[in-house]
Amino acid sequence: MLIWFLPVFLVLLMIGLPVVFGLLLAPGALLVLEGQERDLAVLYRNLYNGIDSFPLMALPFFMLAGEIMNRGGITIRLVEFSQAIMGHLRGGLAHVNILSSILFAGLSGSAVADTSALGSTLIPAMEKNGYTRRFAAAITAASSVIGPIIPPSGIMIIYAYVMGESVAALFLAGIVPGILVGVGLMVMVRLMADGYDLPPAQRVVHDNQTISPIEYYSSLILIRLTFGFFLFRVIGGFAGMFGDDANGLMNFALFAACTVSVDLLLRQYRNRVSQDFRYVCKKAVAPLLTPVIILGGILGGFMTPTEASVIAVVYALFVSFFVLSSMKLADLPSIFARSALASSAVLLLVGAAVSFKTVVALSGAPQILADFILSLSENPLILLLLINLLLFVVGMFLDAGPAIIILGPILGPIFVDLGVHPVHFAIIMSVNLTVGLATPPMGLVLFVAASVSREKVETIAKAILPFLAVEILVIFLITYFPAISMTVPRLTGFVQ
Amino acid sequence: MALLMGVLWPLEKLNDVLLAIGRVLALTALMVMVCFIVYQIFMRLFFDAPNWTEEGARFLMLWMTGLIAPLAYRQGGFVAIDMLERALPHILATILSLILLTCAMAVIWTCANLGWENVNSFTGRGSSASLRLPLDWFGGERIKFKNSWAFASLFVGFCLLVLVNIELLLRQVISLLGGADRLKPMEDAGPID
Repeated sequence: MLIWFLPVFLVLLMIGLPVVFGLLLAPGALLVLEGQERDLAVLYRNLYNGIDSFPLMALPFFMLAGEIMNRGGITIRLVEFSQAIMGHLRGGLAHVNILSSILFAGLSGSAVADTSALGSTLIPAMEKNGYTRRFAAAITAASSVIGPIIPPSGIMIIYAYVMGESVAALFLAGIVPGILVGVGLMVMVRLMADGYDLPPAQRVVHDNQTISPIEYYSSLILIRLTFGFFLFRVIGGFAGMFGDDANGLMNFALFAACTVSVDLLLRQYRNRVSQDFRYVCKKAVAPLLTPVIILGGILGGFMTPTEASVIAVVYALFVSFFVLSSMKLADLPSIFARSALASSAVLLLVGAAVSFKTVVALSGAPQILADFILSLSENPLILLLLINLLLFVVGMFLDAGPAIIILGPILGPIFVDLGVHPVHFAIIMSVNLTVGLATPPMGLVLFVAASVSREKVETIAKAILPFLAVEILVIFLITYFPAISMTVPRLTGFVQ
Repeated sequence: MALLMGVLWPLEKLNDVLLAIGRVLALTALMVMVCFIVYQIFMRLFFDAPNWTEEGARFLMLWMTGLIAPLAYRQGGFVAIDMLERALPHILATILSLILLTCAMAVIWTCANLGWENVNSFTGRGSSASLRLPLDWFGGERIKFKNSWAFASLFVGFCLLVLVNIELLLRQVISLLGGADRLKPMEDAGPID
């Protein structure tokens, strides 16, 4: 009888019961009907234990870091930087929108934050530049789905926790698919640029840019140290300098040489661009180093993902207060409260999902579903196609986080048994359900884009179709070419 | 109607106050969590890693969730598919909403009871391995954290959710009886950022 929890849950979900209560009510009610009231205590204890987790703590911290960055005024700097890089192309501001989303994704793991932050800046600017409002809203919504794919990513932290995977491996596996979605959208914009006569834009919007001495020198030093370190790791790696018999003095000398080389290269380049262009780029350095610090800390083995998320918070505070001087102490309570509020709802949901997962395992539902799915076909490629269709439909109606929480424990084991790597399957689920955020009728970012642009949801839903087609194509590429997602985690040793 | 409004008004005020206190405590908990983990990283990199920071941060995360999740619920922050409710005519939508709130109440009430049992359980009487209340800083003795102090977080959270759910139920009943225009908009209820 316990197997009935799944249809009961779906009915509760469809009539509008909050997911967190549905996850507890469906199995709980069936336990009571079966006279197993004592097991309700086990459900409750799993709910508690589900929240009481150190790895899960990365979720509120990353939300907090994104909130601080957003309120600290970094959005406009990222947009100006993107415009300096890509604004001069045909369809310039549409490209800027996409590039800003890719860069913003490295700071925030949320598509909604991306749409609201970038939309409020870019949609009016695009309209002024000759784009239709619906096109501007559609490209903002379509590109915002990159947010939860490129690390840090809230849904990947949830998936990793609920399914017992490595957060670092999922973060790394999301990098290339996220960039691929961005590049795909840029190609589509370029194809549309001629037909719709999408104009180029100025590379630098405001002339006579100014920058504070602190920001000028901190950017100057940070950019040299970062690129110097990358060069040092590449050369040192080829030269085999990082083994057990590593020579500290040699390493330091090589690092210093690399940093000086980067400095010389940058000095060569600075004469070819205007001072305004350089200042715009300098002002983006501090925010753009956030993903470098997060991933560097995790990959370098200095920090766990949770610790890296706290460092992201501290760095965001440091940048906002001391580098950008864009935040006051009085702003902090509201920022912390908003992050606590948003993360508490998700944490409760994850706790309920851990309870739900216990019942899923006890009921034998995965086995029954596996038998059903295998009766359709034994070819994993066809099954992956079917599962992508299922995920896409689910994504139309449900947010990515809850959908992953519900479907991960049910579908994950089936496909892992079929030989799909758990990290690869996690990325298929994450990307597919994230794209669902921009699909009608319930795509959350469509509603946010509509509210930011004051355009009808239906109008944006039509305008977004070409971009959705690109994203669906990318989903299939990710599904059938595992190397797209698996190469980076394999090269870095996070996946065998 | 007057009776229902008379019950709703003090309940709204009570929830306003309790949730405002919960919000302040939750944001403070998040701030302290950040400090604990920063201290942990600093100590691990340069000295010996402390053994209490991780457990302390988890303790605070549980309390943060318990104290502020009811506010998220009150503001409609719990994810749900509300397409059906929006598609129905007003009366039917209100009846459906009442049914859903009753289902939610069954879950919340059961969880509050189970939470209370958990607080008073044998495990709840046990003590934390690493967390101590540092009363020795003030000349007293260090006190071990009881597990029940952490277990109480979700119990308190579900008790607050009970109050919020009763408020939401009352609002739907008043709305069903035709008093929707007399209700304060939910956007103005309680502390909102």
